[in-house]
Amino acid sequence: MSQTVLIKIRRKDNPNAAPYWETFELPEKPFANVISCLQDIQKNPVNIGGVRVKPVVWDCNCLEEVCGSCTMVINGKVRQACAALIDPLEKPITLEPMSKFPAVRDLQVDRARMFKDLEQAHAWIDIDGTHDIGEGPAIDQETRHKAYELSQCMTCGCCLESCPQYTLDNNFLGPAVFSQARYFNMHPTGAMHKDKRLEPLMKEGGIANCGNAQNCAAVCPKHIPLTESIAEIGRQTTFHLIKKLFVE
Amino acid sequence: MKTLSKSEIQFLLLKLHSLTGIIPIGLFLVFHLGFNSLRTVGVQQYQFGIDLINNMPYLLWIEVLCIHIPILFHSFMGFYVAYQGKFNVFRYAYPRNWMYTLQRVTGGVVFLFLVYHIGTTLFPKMIEGKHLFEASPFLIGIMNEQMSTWSGRLIYLVGILSATFHFANGLWGFCISWGLLIGKDAQRNAGIAFMFVGLVLALWGVATMAAFALDPVSVEPVFSKGMSL
Repeated sequence: MSQTVLIKIRRKDNPNAAPYWETFELPEKPFANVISCLQDIQKNPVNIGGVRVKPVVWDCNCLEEVCGSCTMVINGKVRQACAALIDPLEKPITLEPMSKFPAVRDLQVDRARMFKDLEQAHAWIDIDGTHDIGEGPAIDQETRHKAYELSQCMTCGCCLESCPQYTLDNNFLGPAVFSQARYFNMHPTGAMHKDKRLEPLMKEGGIANCGNAQNCAAVCPKHIPLTESIAEIGRQTTFHLIKKLFVE
Repeated sequence: MKTLSKSEIQFLLLKLHSLTGIIPIGLFLVFHLGFNSLRTVGVQQYQFGIDLINNMPYLLWIEVLCIHIPILFHSFMGFYVAYQGKFNVFRYAYPRNWMYTLQRVTGGVVFLFLVYHIGTTLFPKMIEGKHLFEASPFLIGIMNEQMSTWSGRLIYLVGILSATFHFANGLWGFCISWGLLIGKDAQRNAGIAFMFVGLVLALWGVATMAAFALDPVSVEPVFSKGMSL
């Protein structure tokens, strides 16, 4: 006799529709994960009441926890669905879309705000323009190690979903952006535009809005030292503020 | 001169909120609990200390500019900050998230306690015009009365524990916000060290409470009105 697994999904037909819960019963397969279960539901979208319903919508891409697109709230905690194996999860499994981003449909949300906020914080390194500006300075081993840690951010949104200071209707930039500003500021070429990255963080919704709840670092699937980044950006903005107020 | 935008002002106000929590409010708390603990030595020593403060030049200015206005500003900004966040400690029950939540809760509790505390000490002192050497016997009388009931003791216990926690945890937040504590281990170690600071402050306050409760002695003014020094 094969075992089954119950999956409760918080669904929404369109961005403005009322959410509702729908439960599906699937045969338990070895090594199944949340995405493979969602694929099984897509193949045969029949709920526990035997009614054929609209297939559940979700986002996914890489299926190896490096793209961040399948981020959702699984059993109450935010994480990537592709890396969530069914076996160790408590049953019945509940799936909810992230609550800090505008809903699109079912488990799909619109994370565009994160990318807009990265743009605001100048989260890139300026390279050659119309002419070659030459090679960048060499980076020491220790800095490269630290930079590698920070570079793993996949803009998944776990840190923001768990952050009590980040809400749907405020303009807090959040830990991912602070960490990326630190990442590009520690690069010798990026450091040439340090102030351009710090200025946007010294406004409403900037670094001063962090409440140090430190959930971000606790939930980060890439174990990025986000709370260190926040403190480091705190230090950089403090110096920048003193420079602005009392030196320049 | 460049004018600041509303958004930049919000940032500066939040930084000032963090700063005023330490200077002057945190310093005042340490000073206040430390000075009051003279009561654990004896009521005369305590009276001597209170007399010293109440005979200080520019006392009203110091109180208003260094204590009352910063506390009002810090409280107002604190309510604004607490209103902006959305507690999620039951979903993400990590120790630091508890501290975040408690920081906001204790802030509100301390505000209510201060309304009570100022309303029952400083306010009647001003209304009845008990200045200079008249202040200490009046205030000692009030504290003897407050510490004679369990409701008074409970209010003060909650107030002192909330204030000392809020200060100790706020010191930690200040150090991160201003970039004094960076590394993960440094943050953890300092968090533990600051909690010890808070614990010592709390014990200081509770010891003073106990001295008032166990030995309620009334005193007379060292120099009475009309008596020249």
